Amino acid sequence: MARMTKEERRGGIISASLKLFAEKGFYITTIPDIAEKVGMSVGSFYNYFTSKDILAKELVMYISEYLGRKIRNINEKDISTERKIYEIVSMYFNMANEKPEMIEYFLRVYLSNREVFGEGCEGMICVSPFVTEMMILFEEGVSSKDLHNQDFFSAFGLFMGYLGGMVFLFGEKILSEPLEYYKESISQNIYNALKTR
Amino acid sequence: MTTKKLIEQIEGEANIYFDMKDGVVDFATVAFPHFRGLESILKGKNIMDALVITPRVCGICGHAHLMATVRAIEDAYKNAGETVVLNEKIEKIREFTLVMEIIQNHFKWIYLTIIPSLAKLSKSEDIQTPLKGAFGASLATKALAIFAGQWPHSSYMIPGGVTTDPTNIEILKAQSYVEELISFYEKEALGLSLEKFLNLESCTEFNTLEGDIRDLEKALVKEEMNKKGFSHDRFLVLGKHNYTVPSKLKQTRVFSVDAKYVEDVTTYSPKEKSYAKNAQYKNEYYETGPLSRMMAIGFPIVKNMHRRFKDSAYSRVMARVFELAYLLKHSKSLLQSISIDQPSYLKTADINKLTASGRGVVEAPRGPLIHEIDIKDGLIQKYKIITPTQFNIGSSQKPSLTPAQKAMTGLTQEEALFVFRTFDVCSVCTTH
Amino acid sequence: MHSKQDKRPTLLWIQGVTCNGNTHSFLNLPNIDQLLVKFRLLHHPSLAGEYSFEDMAACRFKCDILIFEGAYDPLMKRGGVLLSKIVEHYAQTAGHIIGVGSCASFGGMFKASAPERNSGLIFNEEIEYGPLLKYKSKVINIAGCPAHPEWISYTLSMIAAGKKVQVDELHRPIELFSNLAHHGCIRNEYFEWKVDAVAFGKKEGCLFYEYGCRAPMTHASCNKILWNEVSSKTRVGTPCFGCTEPDFPRQNLFSTKKNMSIPVDVPIGVPKRSYLTLTGIAKAFHIQRLEGKLIDYKKTD
Repeated sequence: MARMTKEERRGGIISASLKLFAEKGFYITTIPDIAEKVGMSVGSFYNYFTSKDILAKELVMYISEYLGRKIRNINEKDISTERKIYEIVSMYFNMANEKPEMIEYFLRVYLSNREVFGEGCEGMICVSPFVTEMMILFEEGVSSKDLHNQDFFSAFGLFMGYLGGMVFLFGEKILSEPLEYYKESISQNIYNALKTR
Repeated sequence: MTTKKLIEQIEGEANIYFDMKDGVVDFATVAFPHFRGLESILKGKNIMDALVITPRVCGICGHAHLMATVRAIEDAYKNAGETVVLNEKIEKIREFTLVMEIIQNHFKWIYLTIIPSLAKLSKSEDIQTPLKGAFGASLATKALAIFAGQWPHSSYMIPGGVTTDPTNIEILKAQSYVEELISFYEKEALGLSLEKFLNLESCTEFNTLEGDIRDLEKALVKEEMNKKGFSHDRFLVLGKHNYTVPSKLKQTRVFSVDAKYVEDVTTYSPKEKSYAKNAQYKNEYYETGPLSRMMAIGFPIVKNMHRRFKDSAYSRVMARVFELAYLLKHSKSLLQSISIDQPSYLKTADINKLTASGRGVVEAPRGPLIHEIDIKDGLIQKYKIITPTQFNIGSSQKPSLTPAQKAMTGLTQEEALFVFRTFDVCSVCTTH
Repeated sequence: MHSKQDKRPTLLWIQGVTCNGNTHSFLNLPNIDQLLVKFRLLHHPSLAGEYSFEDMAACRFKCDILIFEGAYDPLMKRGGVLLSKIVEHYAQTAGHIIGVGSCASFGGMFKASAPERNSGLIFNEEIEYGPLLKYKSKVINIAGCPAHPEWISYTLSMIAAGKKVQVDELHRPIELFSNLAHHGCIRNEYFEWKVDAVAFGKKEGCLFYEYGCRAPMTHASCNKILWNEVSSKTRVGTPCFGCTEPDFPRQNLFSTKKNMSIPVDVPIGVPKRSYLTLTGIAKAFHIQRLEGKLIDYKKTD
């Protein structure tokens, strides 16, 4: 087996810890648990992240950058805002299926343990790449006259709250159908709520 | 036989048509040939945009237009039951900058208009010093810009206050410009201290003067301007400020006034299309401007002058010289009493929900400036402007002559052209 | 007034549809006498020149430098003569033509008097159009409503000294218009840290996000070369209205146009994505010094 680069090992820690946090919860998971899962000593773990809080912040940035990249690809397509909304919903639900730990972490750890994310992660700093792309989506939507003009957070809250709620219901196994089934109707609902009147 | 004269070196362009009889003017009409259409430009725009557009009616008195707009909007708030109460600081800063604009106007008028035109009339070979006027004006506009950011074309007055929030540094700086301006006026124009000048009681004391004003006064007498250029001997002041007493005067009898009685009527201009309208107060023509304002406050030396020379061209010119001095003194006291710890702006109700009409009245350099607005949901439905030159320099049919027409009657053409300028013509305002 | 040996360049100032604002702005110039001695003034709207208004309108002479103030209206007459004839006569032989003010540069405020025909000398807003297109290489636009007196003085002095005035694509002198009005604004720190003004009449806060300030999108040196040597709009808490740009006057000048709370226009040359990223980050911090009052007079007794 080829020797892993530092970057690859770092990536390994990120995916392992995401899974552990999602399975066991943020507080219960310890650094030794994570080290064990990636097969390294606790000492060498500290070469990558000096504390659990720092790792927690890095994870948020990692997810935000990942989401931001995906939405940016959609934003840059020459398609209507209605179609962009569908693709974002679809991307998000796919992610909830394929990488549920990322969405879980985002919803359960980041949003419910804000005290961990105080210093260095204030406001939008750690989620900036993702939020910026949502701003671009909305701003371009209004300037192309697809969406009506309103406060950013009214629209953002509607969009993300809705998706987060669905993923939560999905995670709790309350939904009777797979997420795929809801893509079309949910993106239509979002678009109808935001479109030009 | 009618002779046409192009009037240059006024604000904009005007043409006078003289009907001569026995070598003197029997009847004169005035045409303002340029159309600019600002009232229609304003229609449909957000009322706040008027704060940027109306100062651009006029390069020399745009600040008065700004204040008229602000007052019209604040009046509309009042009529909508949302009265805007201004504090002393706001009122004083606004008045200071307005007064500075009047001062710059008067400096330019004295040195760039009146002294050169009088020299032309008397065929004097004296060297002209128009740049003294520009220098005095530039000091006044520096003091103005400390609060307003710039001159011309500031938009620093807004409904509910002013955008500026000065510190003592700005106040001190403005004071020093005013002091410099006073010294300049004393040294170059008066040859006498401002205080002594303002305390003169009789025209016979003018021989104590030494500067440019002494020469101006002498030349006026030499050209017998104290016996020429009489108008209706009726004066009108409408703008309410600390330096005015709104009133109308018939000779020396004083009456109360209300700007709602002002109306504009069609101009009589048979020889050329004119874009101006004449302004009347209760169907009569009144003279407006410095002579009217000084008569209305009962300024002793101007009353003395009026007793001797009535509303002659002489009185009209000299009243302005005194108003300049009076306003310099007034501006000093305004600066001394500004309390910087008061707020500069008091939040008004949402202007985008304002539906009301309002009228703003201001004493501009040449007299009352009136802006009337109808607003619906913050948008301008109608904007109407009446400017001082419309009062003074209308063009009407006999026998009801406008102040300038009356004042030019019976004079030679050269004299009439000089007298015309004693009203300080603003063509750009008139054809807004 | 002048002799045959007088080799100074000759200067003529004429007006189209105007408020005279540039004329009065020019008269504010400090040491205006030092500038004027460099030229023979043939005619000016308010300063005495060698020729009368009637001579000027009758095209009785020629000039080296033609200054034009106001919007150009092809149907306007000055002194009974069509402006188109007057402008062509003097422009033909002038070595330099200067449009002073935004009306002469782009149509400006008085383009709106007759939008279907009024324009600037070589631009109608930002489109090349106007009576002097064929002399375009001679034209310098000193945009601004009004033009700043020191900008006019700079341009005239450069010409008098025989130096080339380099211009941008809108023919504005680069040395005056490479700056943005934002440069030198005393509220810059509030812009950097995204502390927005919450009301007019305060020393604190940036006017960009709420109050329509165009300074980061406006080429002008208002905060470098101060107005009347003392101040500028933004220094007294008034938003910049972008009066040096071809789209002046825009609409709703006291409020910022936003889509979903995001400013439609961001600083010149800055990608919106970069601007939003930086803004989101800057807004996350709460800096007490910038959020409080600079001076509290009530406290200082």
